[in-house]
Amino acid sequence: MRTPAGIGASWRREMERQAEKLFHCVHCGFCLPVCPTYLRLGDEADSPRGRLHLMRAVVEGRLGTDSGSFQEHLDLCLGCRACESVCPSGVEYGRLLEGARQAAASARPPSFLARLLARVMATPALAVPLLGAARLLRATGLPDLLARRLPAEGRWGVVRLGLGMLAATAPPDLSPGETLYGSSRPPSCEGSGTGPGPGEGGIGQGRRVALFRGCVQNGLLGHVNRATRRVLEANGFEVVEVPGQGCCGAIHAHMGDLAGARGLARRNLEAFDGAGLALGGATGAGWGAALPQHAHWWDGGGPRGGARGGGGGGGLGERARRFSERVRDVSEVLAETGLRRGGSLPLSVTYDAPCHLLHAQGIAWEPLRLLGSIPDLDLVPLPGAEECCGGAGLYALTHPDMGRRIGEDKARAVLETGAAVVATGNPGCMMQIGAWLRMTEARVAVAHPVELLDESYRRGGIYGG
Amino acid sequence: MNSAGPISPSLPPPLPEEVLADLRRAVGPRWVITDPDHLLVYEADAQTGHRGLPQAVVLPASTQEAAAVFGCLHGHGIPVIPRGAGTGLAGGAVALQGGVVVSTARMNRILELDPDNRRAVVQPGVSNSRLSAAAAAFGLHYPPDPSSQTACTLGGNVATNAGGPHCLKYGVTGRYVTGLKVVLADGEVMHLGGAGREGSLFDFVGLFVGSEGCFGLAAEIEVVLAPTPEGACTLLALFDTLESAGKAVTEILKAGLLPAALEIVDRNTILAVEASAYAAGYPTHAGAALVVEFDGYPEGLEEEVVQAEERCRAAGAWEVRRARTPEERAALWKGRKKAFGAMGRLAPDLVVQDATVPRSRLPEVLARIDGIARHHRLRIANVFHAGDGNLHPNIVFDRRDADETRRVEEAAREIMELCVAVGGTITGEHGVGLEKREYMPLVFSPGELEVLRGVKRVFDPAGLCNPGKVLPPSQEGRGGPGEGAPDEAVGGGRLPGLGGRGGEG
Ligand code: SF4
Ligand code: SF4
Repeated sequence: MRTPAGIGASWRREMERQAEKLFHCVHCGFCLPVCPTYLRLGDEADSPRGRLHLMRAVVEGRLGTDSGSFQEHLDLCLGCRACESVCPSGVEYGRLLEGARQAAASARPPSFLARLLARVMATPALAVPLLGAARLLRATGLPDLLARRLPAEGRWGVVRLGLGMLAATAPPDLSPGETLYGSSRPPSCEGSGTGPGPGEGGIGQGRRVALFRGCVQNGLLGHVNRATRRVLEANGFEVVEVPGQGCCGAIHAHMGDLAGARGLARRNLEAFDGAGLALGGATGAGWGAALPQHAHWWDGGGPRGGARGGGGGGGLGERARRFSERVRDVSEVLAETGLRRGGSLPLSVTYDAPCHLLHAQGIAWEPLRLLGSIPDLDLVPLPGAEECCGGAGLYALTHPDMGRRIGEDKARAVLETGAAVVATGNPGCMMQIGAWLRMTEARVAVAHPVELLDESYRRGGIYGG
Repeated sequence: MNSAGPISPSLPPPLPEEVLADLRRAVGPRWVITDPDHLLVYEADAQTGHRGLPQAVVLPASTQEAAAVFGCLHGHGIPVIPRGAGTGLAGGAVALQGGVVVSTARMNRILELDPDNRRAVVQPGVSNSRLSAAAAAFGLHYPPDPSSQTACTLGGNVATNAGGPHCLKYGVTGRYVTGLKVVLADGEVMHLGGAGREGSLFDFVGLFVGSEGCFGLAAEIEVVLAPTPEGACTLLALFDTLESAGKAVTEILKAGLLPAALEIVDRNTILAVEASAYAAGYPTHAGAALVVEFDGYPEGLEEEVVQAEERCRAAGAWEVRRARTPEERAALWKGRKKAFGAMGRLAPDLVVQDATVPRSRLPEVLARIDGIARHHRLRIANVFHAGDGNLHPNIVFDRRDADETRRVEEAAREIMELCVAVGGTITGEHGVGLEKREYMPLVFSPGELEVLRGVKRVFDPAGLCNPGKVLPPSQEGRGGPGEGAPDEAVGGGRLPGLGGRGGEG
């Protein structure tokens, strides 16, 4: 047996415990046509069923975790979990993938770039100045320019993509006629972040919501966090700051570093538990999906939306489970309580569903309802909105070829709708889609759904401006 | 890796380097797979009971590439096994004794869509749903709708002569395929039928459809499309027993009504589906649910629907629901179409049975199948196209339990014998593949089997196309070149006595 001792073997034990779940796969193949990598390659090893088959082969002892095929095909998986949404047999692919990645990582460490970025994100002393520098760079307008000019092929490809992603985090220009954001943005709006409560008698009824800031989001998409805060407050929620929160660990779990993910999750648990809140709000689908999964990083408790079984495990695992049940995406929070109507925002908008919202958390309608509530906003359907954009955490950077193929297809689909804005609720997706739109020379703005609501509130005078 | 075990097929010898070089030249090195670990994912189709490792998997993107691959392999006497999305349920796309799997997954373009003449030409790797989705923009659709339609490929549909719930009214794949460009075993490309050539002397297209990859590869498929019905109404009738649901079917058809589909699912299936992501809101205490769909002009629908409702109630339905909007109808159907996958919730392994019986014998056959299940202490979940007597008694089990596995095999055989005994046949739509090969003598005499072998030899004299499938080994010993003796394989789905339906329904 080629499986190295240690983590590979322990993973096998873990998989054996989960064997019933793995063996739920009846090999029907219904998941093949939704898998972005299978659709583009046609190789069954790059399909969900094929990947599950490789995992099963490892569990059965037919394959070592160091097998090149096992490594390569699991590595090419986006982790988008589209396969989970369509699986009639309820195979918990995302969870099995995390375990398999952990085993794969023990046999062959992830790329240098992935490890570097994960390390930086987990270390505020590095991340904060780095993201600050990135903001400065963004403000020069150079990333935007270079993303459109640099050659697409060769080694410049990744640089170009990175710059495009950075440029895509700039606040969107939501009305070509008048400049709303950027330098001429009204300071009253960006500054205080407090608005009057809802006119119609307390939609949120003063419920306390803690915002999970997210590392990249806080560093580069602070305007989304501020918009979220304003919108929640305008709807009668009390938004509280939770100090001590940090990176959610999704990137670490994604590349198979479960120990690292656990460490980061513990820090967040402690921060949020201490705050004693009824609700945690997330504006990024990636960690919105990661937070609920904290539980099974410890004890095998099921993720939200899936089976809730699994051992209690007590201690941190149990705390994680209780915590995860309180995490909501901001669109969910607002869809649950209803929301105030803002002013007219006559824009044609299309919506791309972040995988971690749609497939991992089953949140499909809430963001659309939120957008639909905006007066005069014309919501155009995006064909393939349920398919991954290829951003997938660090995927676009670590897998430039596949990331590009998927990203270009998404940009093309967005363009074909003729919409002026594409809305999507996850920083990774905003960056990936924004980058590829830039690189295809398209002038389509990318915005978080909450930003559009915020703009409508601003125009409607809800913020008193 | 690949250590021998009960579930691990042994590794066939690698292909000679010169063959690999030829294959790589034909399709590009990226699309020739030879790493044994990688090949594992191709060891089975959706019927995982049959496993075998190919010596290589090749993924051509065009007819020319496919022809070059076939030609190369033929020259070296190496068997080819065509494969679509691997959703088949009879082991038809599995490499039994080595050979090279030729996957059509990259041949996935719709080559022509001609709404004026209601026809389309597609490559074999296009999925059934994708063609219908593309045609929908013109008010057209492709009627055969196997349950696996979102995943299964049209090439696979041609190979198995696929049906689906709506073939009750619209007929199976063979009715819609008008022309084929096929790659024969030796790499020769032949055009069969085609627009304006329907009147030719021999119906080669008809012969090729349902041949389960034993005659060659359908590399380009010309089909006719049908207008999407103006209106449709789906009924869901709930019964206490399977028998009363069966009675309702008989009554509906006796009344001269022609529904587009008539489907029954039993209680075990309802339980599985309702636990899945495709929960359709079927009450879990129902003994059986009957789905009846009518389509056509909206004005004419009402009368048929009311009549069918009456018949259902007369047969004992305690509730009849109507779904009219496309969304409501889709939700009702989901429960039926995803039933197979949902079975994974009942037990880790599943034998998907497929047989037909004369419609009038349905209630009796169902009762006897129930008896067989009881006798062998097995759990059977029934799903079937009741309108044309096509049964899918699915046996759920756990392969790791050797005794249970043995009982499953016995029960499966008894069910097949029962269906043949009442005048039915061994496959309604999934094809013969490996799964039903041993049952062929139940329906064909040795002389008839010899005729079938002769037909196969016409297309594939060297016996290299999907060898070992469909026909059981000949009694007079093996002969002929290649690993798959020519006497071992022949196409089946449309051959006399094999029933009119095919596919992955
Ligand atoms: S849909 Fe589910 S059961 Fe079917 S092959 Fe995919 S993972 Fe397995
Ligand atoms: S998670 Fe996404 S990329 Fe990975 S197997 Fe599933 S569908 Fe394919």
